[in-house]
Amino acid sequence: MSGLIGIFAFDELWNVSRILYYGLLGLQHRGQENAGIATSNGETIQVFKGEGLVEQVFREKILMELRGWYGIGAVSADPNDKQPVIVSDDSKQVALVFSGKILNKQELAAKYNVNTELIDADFVATCLLKEYSETRDFYEAGLNLVKNLRGISNIIAINNAGEMIVYRDEFGLKPLVVGSFGFDYGAFASESCAIDVIGADLKGDVHPGEFYYLNQYTVERKQVKEPRPKYCAYEYVYLARPDSRINGVWIYDVRRKIGEILAEKYRVDADVVVGIPDTAIPFSMAYANKTNTPVELGFISTGRKIRTAIKPNQFERLIGVQLKLNPIKPVFRNKRVLIIDDSVVRGTTTKNTVSLLRNRIGAKEVHIRVGSPRIVSGCPYGVEIPPEDELIAAHLSEEEVATVVGADSFCWITNDDLVKAIGLRKENICLKCFGGE
Amino acid sequence: MKVLIVGGGSREHAITDAFYRSTHDPRIYAISSNANPGILRICKETGGELIKGKITDPVFVADTAERIGADLVFIGPEEPLFHGVPDKLENRGIPVIGLNSKASEIEKSKAFMRQLMWKYKIPGRLRFKAFKSIEDALAYIEEYAESVAIKPARQAGGKGVKVIADIQAYLRKVKEEIKKKHTERIFSSIMAKYRDIEDKILIEEKVEGPEYTIQCITDGETVLAFPPVQDNKHAFEMEMGPETGGMGSISGRGNMLPFLTKEEYRESIKIIESVVKALRKEIGQEFRGVISGQMMLTMVWGPTIIEFYARFGDPEGVNVLPLLETDMIDICEAILSKKLHKIKLRFRDRATVVKAIAPRGYPNRRDLARNHPLIVDEDKIGKLGGRVFYGSVDLVNGKMLTGGSRAVEIYAEGESIEEAAEIAEKCVAFVRTEDGWGLFHRSDIGSPFSLRRMIELAELVRSVYTYRKSRGILGKYIDWIPGRGKIVYEF
Repeated sequence: MSGLIGIFAFDELWNVSRILYYGLLGLQHRGQENAGIATSNGETIQVFKGEGLVEQVFREKILMELRGWYGIGAVSADPNDKQPVIVSDDSKQVALVFSGKILNKQELAAKYNVNTELIDADFVATCLLKEYSETRDFYEAGLNLVKNLRGISNIIAINNAGEMIVYRDEFGLKPLVVGSFGFDYGAFASESCAIDVIGADLKGDVHPGEFYYLNQYTVERKQVKEPRPKYCAYEYVYLARPDSRINGVWIYDVRRKIGEILAEKYRVDADVVVGIPDTAIPFSMAYANKTNTPVELGFISTGRKIRTAIKPNQFERLIGVQLKLNPIKPVFRNKRVLIIDDSVVRGTTTKNTVSLLRNRIGAKEVHIRVGSPRIVSGCPYGVEIPPEDELIAAHLSEEEVATVVGADSFCWITNDDLVKAIGLRKENICLKCFGGE
Repeated sequence: MKVLIVGGGSREHAITDAFYRSTHDPRIYAISSNANPGILRICKETGGELIKGKITDPVFVADTAERIGADLVFIGPEEPLFHGVPDKLENRGIPVIGLNSKASEIEKSKAFMRQLMWKYKIPGRLRFKAFKSIEDALAYIEEYAESVAIKPARQAGGKGVKVIADIQAYLRKVKEEIKKKHTERIFSSIMAKYRDIEDKILIEEKVEGPEYTIQCITDGETVLAFPPVQDNKHAFEMEMGPETGGMGSISGRGNMLPFLTKEEYRESIKIIESVVKALRKEIGQEFRGVISGQMMLTMVWGPTIIEFYARFGDPEGVNVLPLLETDMIDICEAILSKKLHKIKLRFRDRATVVKAIAPRGYPNRRDLARNHPLIVDEDKIGKLGGRVFYGSVDLVNGKMLTGGSRAVEIYAEGESIEEAAEIAEKCVAFVRTEDGWGLFHRSDIGSPFSLRRMIELAELVRSVYTYRKSRGILGKYIDWIPGRGKIVYEF
């Protein structure tokens, strides 16, 4: 998975690299392994990318050197996925950022004569260049390519001739929004919070199946495929930032609703309710408001904010969790504690936390509620979810999990609870990782 | 009776059409640099004539008016006003509707307009600085990092306005760089060709809110307002892209706009009346014609002046002129005899939507947008319930060639803005270029989504300015600066 941004200034006086940089900071939670930016002045494309967080990759000197009036950027959660991808033939350069999963790679590989072993972003960029070389028209090339793609694909691509294309697949599994800044530039980003961070105005979602083409003289919108919305439920529970709005729904509203559902259906008598930072805090606040249980701040993190669940290896996850969750002891001591978490994937983090609260601090009771349904299978569309044999929910009942992690009680919400909280039609929500449709 | 219209755009087509409906059955003549097919047709039908020529040349216009024996000249666009065409006509005793060159400063010089509003303490004014030298302008930008609108001090065909929100400290460097570069550009290119004004650049505080245009006619004393219209300045979909003269506009039922209250409309007219009064006092001359306030509902004031037009807006004029029931010639005669107070403007109660269609290249590369043959299926558009107002097109050897600006404007009316927008949107498909050159328009104008956004924005702004009004600080800026103390800045 990755977080994408694209900025297109209509006036060549602009230098967009710093705007892209801050936009990427706003998307950092969507990928913390790689970060990159490509900019162009309409003649050539400059690209810079590296491993690590956005702030680690881009030093001041690099931002000063990257210049151009339009550009794209990405953060990635996959260490092998280094974006933006830049490809070129004799005269043409194309840079592309991508989020999703291509499902007809064999077919496309045969059509475009491209190696299937390329990872998706590189694969799609190469296909686009082939189309572009053939049609000599970036608009046509983009349209042809996205018509041929099957699967999940959010794409922002530029060439070195002052053009940009943007596409969100017909399922709209991953979010993509559009904004603008005055009379000066258009902006596209995986999440609306990035549009806020760069000080642009959010205009709305790029609709599923919608294609944008931009140059200095025109912006065209085209509905390439009939929308068949399958919005990713995991975004609402966990991935997206609570200050974002995707598919017309505020993430924070969903999370508050989940807290209320926990209060209505999964209530437990407790002296204090504590949310695991950061995602579960709105759950705990809504739960507390509904039940009149005191809500407290229970954990303080050390160092940078790291998204532990999307860290690729167990050791790094453990470091992340330990640094993230230093408990504030008086909150828990001698109390009946309700902990609300945003997801329980492998159960290891929860086990550590419960044992800390009970054995080291002296909580009287520890109950766990999870603001997401059971995660029982991996994501076929490229969201970083561990393989099935690592998923505790796929193997144990709630009762068993409680025993394993050492809690007094343990509950997940159901898929229907989540659908209700999101407030969109069930058939328009993808619940695959939760064992649904 | 013979009427001469000066100008050849969509606005002038709508003006011509309003004269055409007059029960006085005038013969209609026009002077224009292009042969506008819509105006040409009306001229021919009424036994008049379309004369090609330079509309900014006072002698040519006056000679032509004399030659045809015009009883009345109506000037559509602003440049003939700036060049003193009405002054010349008046000198020769030819009745003319159009602000004289001094009065039209209200549009030509943004610095003059702002100074006038300040001098006479008229509400709806904004903080601004005018600069004659580039050094002073750049020094100011360096010292004050703030959200600003940077404009050429003279009306420059709508070009060169840049609005920069400068709120995030972490993006300040980027914004400062663009402000400076743009300022340099205004001095070195946009304003370089104009010798008729001393101030070169205006830096105004940036305001936010829904915009609307109040178009008025005046005999110098009485001011009569047309229904409010809302224009859309962004070139492209989703309010993206460079500023244009306007890509389309809406007017609502009850001759109002859905996001504007009656009180705000009245306040806006009052502001325009005050400006007309102040203008008369300031220049010490009589004037008559059209004066329009391009306004915004802002947190500073509520109704606020962004700019003045000494003319109808384009496309805004195209929204309301077709609704006008009062006879255009009666109106003009009342203006000329200074009896406008005896006239009541009547309008049909319909919602209207105008959508401009422009060739790719407009607004920043008009050279690319020019000279593409255009095909308009007026029958189909008529059957759908729309009307075509021709703009920047020229009839050459039977072919219609684009002139680089908005080629045609589609007008539609309905029981609601949404309904009118749907009709207009369907009509757009029947305008195309023969050579396949791309045309663009704004499908979002008048859509439920866009209307909802505007209403939400208006509600936000209204809640702030009514709060400020209740605290008695409308038009004031109060701050406390560490180390300096309380600052009260009265507008």
